[in-house]
Amino acid sequence: MSEKDLIVKLNNLKNISPDNSWLKSNRELLLSQISNSGAKKISGRENFFINLSSFFKASAQPAYSFGVFVFILLFTSLFAHQLFSKTKPTDSLYIARIISEKAKLSTVINSESRDKLAMQFANERAQEISAVLSDPNFNNDSNKVEVAKLNNNFNEELATVKTKIKNLKPVAKVAKNNLASSSSDSFSIAENNKDTSGVQLFENPNNKVIVDSNKKVEAASALKSLNPSATLTLTVKATSTKIAATSSDIVSTNSIIDQAQKLFDNKDYSQASNKLKEVNSIIK
Amino acid sequence: MLNPIEKFKDKREVSRLKSHDKQAFVKAYDENVKDIHRFVYFKIGRQEEANDLTSMIFLKAWNHIQNNTLEDAKTLRALLYKIARNAIIDYYRDSGNKLNASLDDEANPIEIAAEGDNQQDLIDKAANLELIKSKLPLLKEEYRELIIMKFINDLNLEEIVDITGKSRGNVRVLLHRALNSLRELIEEDKGRDL
Repeated sequence: MSEKDLIVKLNNLKNISPDNSWLKSNRELLLSQISNSGAKKISGRENFFINLSSFFKASAQPAYSFGVFVFILLFTSLFAHQLFSKTKPTDSLYIARIISEKAKLSTVINSESRDKLAMQFANERAQEISAVLSDPNFNNDSNKVEVAKLNNNFNEELATVKTKIKNLKPVAKVAKNNLASSSSDSFSIAENNKDTSGVQLFENPNNKVIVDSNKKVEAASALKSLNPSATLTLTVKATSTKIAATSSDIVSTNSIIDQAQKLFDNKDYSQASNKLKEVNSIIK
Repeated sequence: MLNPIEKFKDKREVSRLKSHDKQAFVKAYDENVKDIHRFVYFKIGRQEEANDLTSMIFLKAWNHIQNNTLEDAKTLRALLYKIARNAIIDYYRDSGNKLNASLDDEANPIEIAAEGDNQQDLIDKAANLELIKSKLPLLKEEYRELIIMKFINDLNLEEIVDITGKSRGNVRVLLHRALNSLRELIEEDKGRDL
């Protein structure tokens, strides 16, 4: 007899079972005995808590814990900042908001988008600090320490916004009309050839044509090879317009921030907040 | 190893038992009584005693869960088997019986489930039962216990490790030896018949 045959035969013994009538009578007997020791029917609420605790007990193994950890991390990074977005700098949950914003930032891969988002968060926090300080019930001598701390925080947030603005790559904006009138042929040629030549000409939602600054030389040479006269016009126009537009954006944003800073220092919190809202609209 | 859903169900069952839930006890009884009875029956070889001990095991399990007096087993099933092993040891100690199990219980023949079986199957099963009945008690107690748990009651290795307190490797080796011993006993018997 092989080992396998033996195992099959042993397995057949599973069919051996006690008498059914004994099973039933024994169950009744046991139930009556345990009823004396406090057995009862549990309520729906108890059942809910049992299910919840059992879930956590069952998921206490490292692999499941890791899964739950990843889920919580993803959830917090994606949604927690929305959950805590209404908290004020004086709230106890404000720290949770800052953590959730950091988590959200860590999920953004593109460095430019990340800087932009960080700038937006810092600006919003600065606005909230101004809003809190504009409240006379809070901004008084009894809260001296907190007010000083918030002042520092405000300066830090503005410094962050300024730093992030500097980090942003300059972007050129060229009016589509100008481009079309001066070199409509070259524009269409460039559009048709952008995949192969590396030219990055595309339409943005404001009906403007944006030329990526890093690619302007490539764009110029690619267009030149196809239509030399028209391309030259485009390149010159795009380059000159780019510098003007970028500088004006940065200068205007920085000046608004400086104005906000001055208003804040003069304790005109509501005006400072309005200025920061302007910055926010530019960032967005 | 239990999958997450089975593990959740088992934890829930134990928690409900701890909360004195009558329905949980009924469920645990219905799910495990046949296996526990079979385990006891094959260990001690007498149906009447197996009935009494099975009843006592469930009552003890209830009391242990309520009082948290037993070292935690990983699953409810493992807990029942642990209690069953202790109950059997107590039984032998009390009766002064030195583990001379016999499955010859003419007065109380045990029932073999016959659903969907034809005559030939029934004869085969009866023959198997006779064979095991005669040879199983001759095995070492340790071997017999492992064979019942693994090959008759279908416990997995993790559960056996939990119940016996032995290492995985040790359980594997013992199972292998137990099967070889049983096979030798059966073949020895067949050789004598020829």
